[in-house]
Amino acid sequence: MWGKLAFRLFLREFKRGELTIIFAAIVLAVLTIFSLSSITERISLNIEQKSSDFIASDRRLSSNHAFDQSLLEKATSFGLQTAKMLYFDSMIFANDELVLSSVKATTAAYPLRGKLTIKNSLTSQAYDVNSGPKLGNIWLSEGLFYSLNVNVGDNIELGAGNFIISKVLVKEPDAPFFSLSGNKRVLLSYQDITKTQAVQPGSRVFHRLLFSGNNQQLTDYYQWLKPLLKSNQTWQGIKDRQSPLGNNLNRAERFLLLAGLFGIMLAAVAMAVSAKRYCERQYDPVAMMKTLGGSRQTIRNIYLLHLSLVTTFSILVGLGIGYILQSIGANYLANFMGTVLPEAGVRPWFLSIFIGVICAMMFSLKPLLDLFDIPPLRVLRRNLGDRLVISRLHVGISFLTIFVLMWIFSGEIIITLILFASTIVVISILFTLSRLLFSAGRKLGLSPGSSWSLAIATLQKRANANAIQLVSFALAIKLMLFLLVLKNDIISDWQMQVPAGAPNMFILNISEREVSAIKQFFSDRNINHEAFYPVFTGRVDAINGEAFARRVSKQEGEEQEEGAREGVNREPNLTWLSNLPEGNEITEGQWFSDSDDIEVSVFEGWQRVLDLELGDTITLLINEQPIDAKVSSFRKVDWGSLKPNFVMILSPNMAGRVPVTYFSAAELLETHTKDISQLLKRYPTISMIDIKIQIEQAQSIIAQVSVAIGFVLIIVLISGSLVLISQVQASLAERMQEVVILRTLGAKGRLIKLATLYEFMLLGAIAGAVAAIVSDIALLVIQQQFFDVEGRMHPYIWILGPVSGSIFVSAIGYFMVANTMKKNTHNLLRALG
Amino acid sequence: MSSHSQVNAIQVLGLTKQVSTFEGNLTILSDINFSVKSGDSIAIVGASGSGKSTLLSLLAGLDVASEGDVVLDGQSLNSLDEEARAKVRADKIGFVFQSFMLVQSLTALENVMLPAELAGDKNAREQAITLLDKVGLSHRLVHYPSQLSGGEQQRVAIARAFIGSPKILFADEPSANLDTQNGHLIETLLFDLNQQNGTTLVLVTHDEQLAKQCHRIIHIEGGQLEKISEGVAENVG
Repeated sequence: MWGKLAFRLFLREFKRGELTIIFAAIVLAVLTIFSLSSITERISLNIEQKSSDFIASDRRLSSNHAFDQSLLEKATSFGLQTAKMLYFDSMIFANDELVLSSVKATTAAYPLRGKLTIKNSLTSQAYDVNSGPKLGNIWLSEGLFYSLNVNVGDNIELGAGNFIISKVLVKEPDAPFFSLSGNKRVLLSYQDITKTQAVQPGSRVFHRLLFSGNNQQLTDYYQWLKPLLKSNQTWQGIKDRQSPLGNNLNRAERFLLLAGLFGIMLAAVAMAVSAKRYCERQYDPVAMMKTLGGSRQTIRNIYLLHLSLVTTFSILVGLGIGYILQSIGANYLANFMGTVLPEAGVRPWFLSIFIGVICAMMFSLKPLLDLFDIPPLRVLRRNLGDRLVISRLHVGISFLTIFVLMWIFSGEIIITLILFASTIVVISILFTLSRLLFSAGRKLGLSPGSSWSLAIATLQKRANANAIQLVSFALAIKLMLFLLVLKNDIISDWQMQVPAGAPNMFILNISEREVSAIKQFFSDRNINHEAFYPVFTGRVDAINGEAFARRVSKQEGEEQEEGAREGVNREPNLTWLSNLPEGNEITEGQWFSDSDDIEVSVFEGWQRVLDLELGDTITLLINEQPIDAKVSSFRKVDWGSLKPNFVMILSPNMAGRVPVTYFSAAELLETHTKDISQLLKRYPTISMIDIKIQIEQAQSIIAQVSVAIGFVLIIVLISGSLVLISQVQASLAERMQEVVILRTLGAKGRLIKLATLYEFMLLGAIAGAVAAIVSDIALLVIQQQFFDVEGRMHPYIWILGPVSGSIFVSAIGYFMVANTMKKNTHNLLRALG
Repeated sequence: MSSHSQVNAIQVLGLTKQVSTFEGNLTILSDINFSVKSGDSIAIVGASGSGKSTLLSLLAGLDVASEGDVVLDGQSLNSLDEEARAKVRADKIGFVFQSFMLVQSLTALENVMLPAELAGDKNAREQAITLLDKVGLSHRLVHYPSQLSGGEQQRVAIARAFIGSPKILFADEPSANLDTQNGHLIETLLFDLNQQNGTTLVLVTHDEQLAKQCHRIIHIEGGQLEKISEGVAENVG
């Protein structure tokens, strides 16, 4: 019998709009989580797929020693696709010309991800292929055709082997962003390596195993492989790679994660407010039902059924809207990028349903317990059961739930703790501030009967409710400002990495005598170029006279140090400079002094690895010649930039002590194509690396992520608006009563309207001001700690916060209560019941 | 006129109610004793704050006494917990309140059906239609409280009070929120239905004239039973 009554009550309450807020809050939570997690997962999968192209696989294993064949066999047994790669520098010979080139030999499955781009001749159209050269064939990059004066179809000698040049190699997916090995690239079949006899014991060669498969297969294989990894073997995925792309991917993921967390927080606030409000609205019916003989069990059943029905219904609607939203967003992104985004898995479905259920249960728990406890005596004593103070238990449960939800969603305890703690600080400040402001307002002495004094009186009268509203408004505004500023900062930071007009071609191996001629060449053709850096290689041999023991890490997740430790075992490119390069920052010590001693500025990552201190003497082995350099400073280096960076920069007094080549970068446009050929023909020993494609790819991904962030921001904006709406709705009945009283006392409509408008304007302005201040402080920490972006203050949001808060809150608030104010007093009384 | 028996519908034995305040215990009702015969009507009158609503809440089992007991239709309330008292209310008691206390999301018919549905009565709908017809609202069955006038809402509340044929009806200032004309209409309806159903009526009111229509009048002053006077209704002797 109670079921029928409960169902009827549910339908009626729903129809009357009593459940709308709670329904909207769960819908909001579910659709926010679903759309955000779906879109982030789809973008993430797409970016991962695209990023995998950059290493031509999903994971790779690198070493300077040959791998045991069993590693590949085991990978195949895990269901992974595999390919082998070997690369080394070697001389190639044709037409009496001898040129040092980078040789890469691959098995037929290469590339596992991405495509090779080739041309049939120097003048024909480029096209994509999925596999490298056949046996006996060789592909050369364009520069080599000029250096060796050869054409497609000619013969070429590599080591002891003779090959037919069959294609022009335009692009390899895993070509390095920046490498001093030049653009003289050669690709041949792995099986032809024996024929060249170029790889002998002790040869300087690099081996790579490439793997592709699904995440589970890759993880399973890595678990098997991990204990077998040797110190000279490195396991890498795209995210481990120190590249602009890898760094930006991490930042984008963190941003979307953060936006998701904010979505959860906003939804949780809406849910907590609406659940409490709904239960309070049910106090009278429950008291009446108890008076009429309804048992506690019956009442419990009725309202638990209500909760179950509203939760189920709203989760279904939330999933529906979320699905439509993410489909629209994904289609937009796909069109924007000219690609198809892969479908998300089941995680967003489970996650959003789980969070919807948890939100509904946890935020309703205490209000429902209060509701079940409403004494029947309330029918006579009307205020009995009203909670004049906010229940500490409700607040405690709500906060704990929000924290757990954020943790579950993010999987990152530290970021959750920081966000959560900063929010608690905001709430504490706001409560204190709101109480002070509302009590201080009494002393303003505004003339009685003015809209302003009425607005302030209303604010004071509802000090408790207003404090809660203020916290919600401020939280919503804070999160929106926070994301807006972060989005702008991250995107502008990315854009700074690849600014318009940045050099897109690196020129290497320039001899000292060619420098002035090439400068003139550029100048004659109005080609913008950067400075010419002297470049030489050197090995760290000893520190303070003590021979350095070389070691290589094999751990994952130590991105910054990973590259550095690898670097210790290689001969890094070194330079000497008079001035600190752009994008570098001294973290310790001083830039070079006027001392006669050779000084060195070291990348801070190497400071840790080599355990260096200021004043230490590093012995560098340059061309087998030991050079001592005193450490004068440590530097932060932005490896994300597409500019040449050096782990060690020596003082200018190194000039003349070692043989060097020069390096520069230039911006070459489409109109300069002929000039490039001319330059290569005139100076065949130089190498050019075209990074246009890499820049375009990076810019495309940045644009894609920027659009995604904008989309996420809109979702968070809608979520924030709904929090505001739910808050205003929660106070609507009280406002109606006030309007009735004021009208009865003869207040004019204009006075009431203006007072309402001013009240919301004041609330919005205060909330916006506090939100701006706290956002800016929190941004400083988050930017530095999590986004590796330079933290800076944003004075514009100190104005934007209160102004936008005032407009936003007053517009929504006024719109919500405008309908109420249109009703005549009689209708209002009826509506109040 | 109802047939009166000699059985006590309500027996009030040394009823005392105290509440804790910052200044110590406050006695709201002190040692109240009286009884009401089945089918009788009594009015509880007194100034505001005299304790009459507290007395009503104790008589109806909505609150528990600090001392003493209330025996309703032979059932001692003091020994019962909240759930058992709810059962007593469901079985034996009807209520009419000053502020109507209708559930806003239910229609007039559904509000009247509510007590019967809570008690698991399968004939709730038929009974409710009959009662609404008796109070002259058969044309308002599907209207919500907000669509009814104050007088109509109170008539719905009266119909609700009589569903399930309660033995005792408690009415707390039933006409206080209504204009004179509607007030009289409601009072007449209440007494008529009370007589037709042989219900024991306990009426809390400020209105001396209304009180006089009952068999007896209980005067409460400062939490104490000041006197019991006779009304104009026929006494049971």
